[in-house]
Amino acid sequence: MTGSVATRRRGGWLAPLRGLYSRPSSALGTSLVAVFVLLAVFGPLATPYGPTEQIFSERSQPPSFQHPFGTDHLGRDVFSRVVAGDRDIFLLAGSGTLVAVLVGTLVGLLATYRGGWVEEVSYRFFDSLLAVPALLLALLLLGSLGPSRASVLAVIAVAYTPIVARVVRSVVLDTKTKEYVLAARMQGESVAFILAREVLPSVLPALAVEAALRFSYAIFLVASLGFLGVGVQPPNPDWGLMVSEARDFVYLTPWTLTFPALGISLLVVGVNLLADGLKRVLQVEASA
Amino acid sequence: MFVHHLYNVRLTRLRVGVMALLVALLVAVLIGGAAAQGAPSGTLRVGMGSPAKLDPAYASSDAEIAVLNAVYDYLVDVDAKNNVEPRLATSWTVSSDGLTYTFELAKNATWHDGSPVTAQDVVYTFNRLRDPSLKLPTADLYADIASIKATGEHQVTFTLKATNPFFLYDLSDNHAVIVKNGTTDFGTTFDGSGPFIVQSYHPDDRMVLKANPDYFIPGKPGVARLELIFFSDQAAEVSALRGGQIDLAMRLPSSLYQSLKGVKGITRVDVPTNGFNVLRLRSDEKPGNDPRVVEAMKLAIDRQAITESVTQGLGVVGNDTPIGPLYQKYYDPSATPPKTDPAKAKQLLAEAGYPNGLKLDLYTPNTGDRPDMAVVVKQQLAKAGFDINVVVEPESVYYGDNKWLQVDFGITGWGSRPYPQFYLNVMLECGAKWNEAHYCNQQFDALAKDAGTTLDSQKRIDDYHKIQQILASSGPIVIPYFFPQLGAIRDGFTGFQMKAFAGRTDLAAVHAP
Repeated sequence: MTGSVATRRRGGWLAPLRGLYSRPSSALGTSLVAVFVLLAVFGPLATPYGPTEQIFSERSQPPSFQHPFGTDHLGRDVFSRVVAGDRDIFLLAGSGTLVAVLVGTLVGLLATYRGGWVEEVSYRFFDSLLAVPALLLALLLLGSLGPSRASVLAVIAVAYTPIVARVVRSVVLDTKTKEYVLAARMQGESVAFILAREVLPSVLPALAVEAALRFSYAIFLVASLGFLGVGVQPPNPDWGLMVSEARDFVYLTPWTLTFPALGISLLVVGVNLLADGLKRVLQVEASA
Repeated sequence: MFVHHLYNVRLTRLRVGVMALLVALLVAVLIGGAAAQGAPSGTLRVGMGSPAKLDPAYASSDAEIAVLNAVYDYLVDVDAKNNVEPRLATSWTVSSDGLTYTFELAKNATWHDGSPVTAQDVVYTFNRLRDPSLKLPTADLYADIASIKATGEHQVTFTLKATNPFFLYDLSDNHAVIVKNGTTDFGTTFDGSGPFIVQSYHPDDRMVLKANPDYFIPGKPGVARLELIFFSDQAAEVSALRGGQIDLAMRLPSSLYQSLKGVKGITRVDVPTNGFNVLRLRSDEKPGNDPRVVEAMKLAIDRQAITESVTQGLGVVGNDTPIGPLYQKYYDPSATPPKTDPAKAKQLLAEAGYPNGLKLDLYTPNTGDRPDMAVVVKQQLAKAGFDINVVVEPESVYYGDNKWLQVDFGITGWGSRPYPQFYLNVMLECGAKWNEAHYCNQQFDALAKDAGTTLDSQKRIDDYHKIQQILASSGPIVIPYFFPQLGAIRDGFTGFQMKAFAGRTDLAAVHAP
């Protein structure tokens, strides 16, 4: 076994995608995520109204051709808001997850490979962060930072970096005693080279699955914070905030509650199914 | 012997049977007769928020006041039409100089432990509320009292330092339930004199009360059992009302109130109030210290549109003054703010030195319809060149550390009061405790002081009208609407008269079907 994934990949870069579509559950997940990604990228171009634009004469309209998801009590087009919220949640949860994955991987690789006190200090610190539930940690941080997009992003990064780092550690611990790593070390390769070329490739499959899972948790965290009113602020079209605002309208204009809630659930389900599929495909590939 | 015994037993059984029948008949007649006289019967289940502070001096929410109003009595009460009416005090006289008030207490009122209510209890209650060393929130309100004396077993005399035409309303302040002489353990024991006796209290769940059989007001309470059921979510409260788990809900947001339209078995109740949200700009520092910026703000706002969208048309449009139409003769309908004109507002902003627009953070608590109002205000002000960033905060943050008094631009909610002087004294007079706009206008202060002391009601009316003209044209506040008090009750209950302050609604007057 060498650590290089690229040399073993058969069927080019489409192979994992084919793998994902070989089972209905992961095919559904991948398609759902694809739809939400397309909406996030191109949706705002297609929506005829601004997400915060209030049209006084068109308040509380049920879904129609003009307003596919209806309008809310302030005359805002729910479809435009849901689409803008989709882009928002990808940007926020996505970039937060990205930061967590990058920092977690970097610290995980370096600290675990070095071992000794560096590993002790960083992982005991991460353990102390993990002892606090993510939502509580988020509330504490937002209480001191104040509610804004930047602080929500920081919250995701702080909450999920330790988890990513632990996953990385479990793989690195196993890999760093492997013969090919020892061989590289004896050749006098630099630490950076060994980590990047020999260790990282074996971390990647687990990391990809973990990133997808973290992303789904991050979506939920952003929505929860919005719902609690400590995350993204009105009038921004955050899905959680929209659900919270629409709670009292559940009987009057149910569509204002239904569509953002549907957005949260479908995207989270989609990402989770995708993560499951990814796990299966990458495991198959790794053992091939 | 055996036979005889059997016979005796039979006879006894027969006697017992006949007697039981007679007793049952008697009881039925008695109950029937009593019901005709209004003996409490049935249960009333009321949904409300969870009370947090049940010490009368600190209680403030509707739920807290509703509990106090059920368990204790006020000295005098204010009815649904803002008239002062008797409660523990059955009558009173005022001296011709307006400085001495003498109250006669109900002679048959007792505490729930059975001891009589006396003048000493009233003296203790108000001395506690006004004691400056205790630093209770009511100390300022009662600072104008010179002395309180028990001038008889059931007679209390208040002497004032200066005339106060609203003194009876002050005595009926939400905090001023009469407590037993010497009480200190408020919120844990509930030895009141009121229509209901606390049976069990589970914080954050419910409080169960039973009718006080010795209540001194004849015919009250109407129900034998009162259940106060606490909800943290009003949508859930309305679902409980629809599902028949509660009978009454008050303080509903307009959305939930509208959703009950046409629902079978439920009657909606809508009462106008003088409660409002105020959009205020600090007038003691930049940018609000420039009258042109204040005028631009007033010109940019469309009060009618805010009322339509935020209150679903249920509110009454305001004129940027806290003296609303509910105060009838005190209200001046001719005092109106400048007509909505975003273009003129933009021009004024440019003249004031903001040709490229003015960036401001707008703070508001996350309760009620205030976040909605902030979002609509943001859009309206944008047309005049204001660039508003809405910051919605939990009440603990907004009101904590008095942040709400410090921020430049904010939206704050003010509850309904039975008379207008309160708002002038604590919210708008120069240096007032809760003067969040930091408004300071000598002409206004002179008028407010005169209105608050004169015993000449026509003079007071004139003062209030002038005050409204000043605030409508130049006050650094926007009051776009007065919100209604919205409630809903299950059909079949009678005697329900909701008050502008829902917590003060007389639940003892309600009869079950």
